[in-house]
Amino acid sequence: MKQLTSLMHSVWIAENDLRQSFKSVRHVVWSLLFPIFMMFTFSFRYGATGPDVQFINFLIPGIVGMTAMFGSINETMSIVWDKSLGVFDRILAAPVSSTSIIVGKTMSGAVMGVISALVLLIIGTTLFGVSFANISAVLLIILLASFSFTGIGTIISGLASEPREAMMLSNLLRFPMMFLGGVFFSVEAMPMPLPYVARALPLTYATEALRAIEIGNTTIVFVDAMVLLVYTVGTILLGSRILMKIMTR
Amino acid sequence: MENAIEVKELTKFYGSLLAVNHVSFEVKGKEIFGLLGPNGAGKTTTIRMICGMLRPTSGTAVIAGFDVAQKPREVKRRIGLVPDISNLFGELSARVNLEFMGKLYGLDKKTRRERIDKVLEIFQLKDRQNDLVKYYSKGMHRRLTIAAALIHQPEILVMDEPTSGLDAQTARLVREIIIDLNKEGRTILLTTHQIEEADRLAQRIGIIDCGRLIALDTPDQIKKSTEGMRALEIKILNGTDQQRWIPIISKAEGVDSVFLAEGKIRILSKDLAQIIPRVINLVDKQGGKIENISVAQPTLEDAFINLTGKSIREEPTSKEAYLKTRLARSGLR
Repeated sequence: MKQLTSLMHSVWIAENDLRQSFKSVRHVVWSLLFPIFMMFTFSFRYGATGPDVQFINFLIPGIVGMTAMFGSINETMSIVWDKSLGVFDRILAAPVSSTSIIVGKTMSGAVMGVISALVLLIIGTTLFGVSFANISAVLLIILLASFSFTGIGTIISGLASEPREAMMLSNLLRFPMMFLGGVFFSVEAMPMPLPYVARALPLTYATEALRAIEIGNTTIVFVDAMVLLVYTVGTILLGSRILMKIMTR
Repeated sequence: MENAIEVKELTKFYGSLLAVNHVSFEVKGKEIFGLLGPNGAGKTTTIRMICGMLRPTSGTAVIAGFDVAQKPREVKRRIGLVPDISNLFGELSARVNLEFMGKLYGLDKKTRRERIDKVLEIFQLKDRQNDLVKYYSKGMHRRLTIAAALIHQPEILVMDEPTSGLDAQTARLVREIIIDLNKEGRTILLTTHQIEEADRLAQRIGIIDCGRLIALDTPDQIKKSTEGMRALEIKILNGTDQQRWIPIISKAEGVDSVFLAEGKIRILSKDLAQIIPRVINLVDKQGGKIENISVAQPTLEDAFINLTGKSIREEPTSKEAYLKTRLARSGLR
């Protein structure tokens, strides 16, 4: 019963966060506009006999992974806003456990990542004809990636003292991750030592796994899913620890 | 009457900064208790510890029979907190905000709906219940913040600077609400830096300064700390900066305290008959002319100055006081 109440608290906190995010239509549109713009810009690459289908097949999974990253990290930035506007206090003053608060915030981050990625996945598959061999595996990878990005977002939100600092910190991570995470260029084609850096980023495994699903390489999918799982557990544990420390000062 | 709140030797360090220093007091059931002190005195930190939002460095706080360190959730169920700034979700409507609070306090759907309708009615927000809170006026924000704290019908209401930053009309409305809530049987602990507010609302007052509780009694008894004293109010002519006269007058023999109050120089002394000619002479010698002079009974503000040696209107200027205020108000950092 106690666990159920705690879980319900988390669900309501997540629901409240998402309700706020979706209330602002502009916020949702702007956050999706960037990956859509990137998708269309890079898809205008032509080969000798027309559009470079091979590159589009390479690009769409990358964009989907990148969108999950932007969606999740953006959503977790709400923690910093909540802290600075004092609304976090409102939740802290209620009979809600710190764990429920962290789980709720993690849920909203992951849900936002998944929804954003799915929008781009639908656009990518319908407009560019990209197909995936196993849609359940796609959903699993998007979910795992979203959770690991949420963990990163939670760490940033816990460390930053105010929204501006959080935005700078998140950009410091998101943009290098976007270019080094195998979204637009293959990790193998990167000069040394960039592949090593790329291999340290969760986005690399998300994009690689999504591409592996396209061609049906289950081994890579499995290995990358495991790496993402480790990232998810690690980042969420670290993020929770930071937030817990702040909440139980 | 049983105590609703018992605070014993409550102490809080922020790093090496001592924000609350061995504060002890009790709030009786169904009482309005005012924690009075200037900004940065440690009021917000004290109530954050009482509400289970901040862990004390040492000391205990027992709320409605529950130790806040051991049973924080039991304590939180019994307290409604009204923070000094409106901390509602601006992107959501009043009703949705109240719905969310009701859920967090474990109210079922039917009870939630009934309570939300009731508080919206009481606080005259029903017409605007579906508007986004970010479009609310300051007064509406305040009313909704109080409404949100009452959604779970707490027995104790903790209010941090309840009328701070409000216009006179809204402040009066909030004070009326506080009195009504107390009449309904709720214990109210409020913090304020406004002496008149504490005098008007609180049945007992604790004066807190630099993290220490320096006086604890009824407003009338606190005023008695100025027993035997009289207050002399003077205004010096020619638009002269009244503040400039404070150090000059304070040098006169027999003057206990001198400070500015509502544009006049207020002098406290046990021997007013001797003081009046001395002050007149002193002002005259320094080239000033007294426009107005009157004798008054000491007020709670006089008692505050007598106890703390400074006016409550003074803003904290030291880096420490600033940091303490910032830490306490920002909540988490």
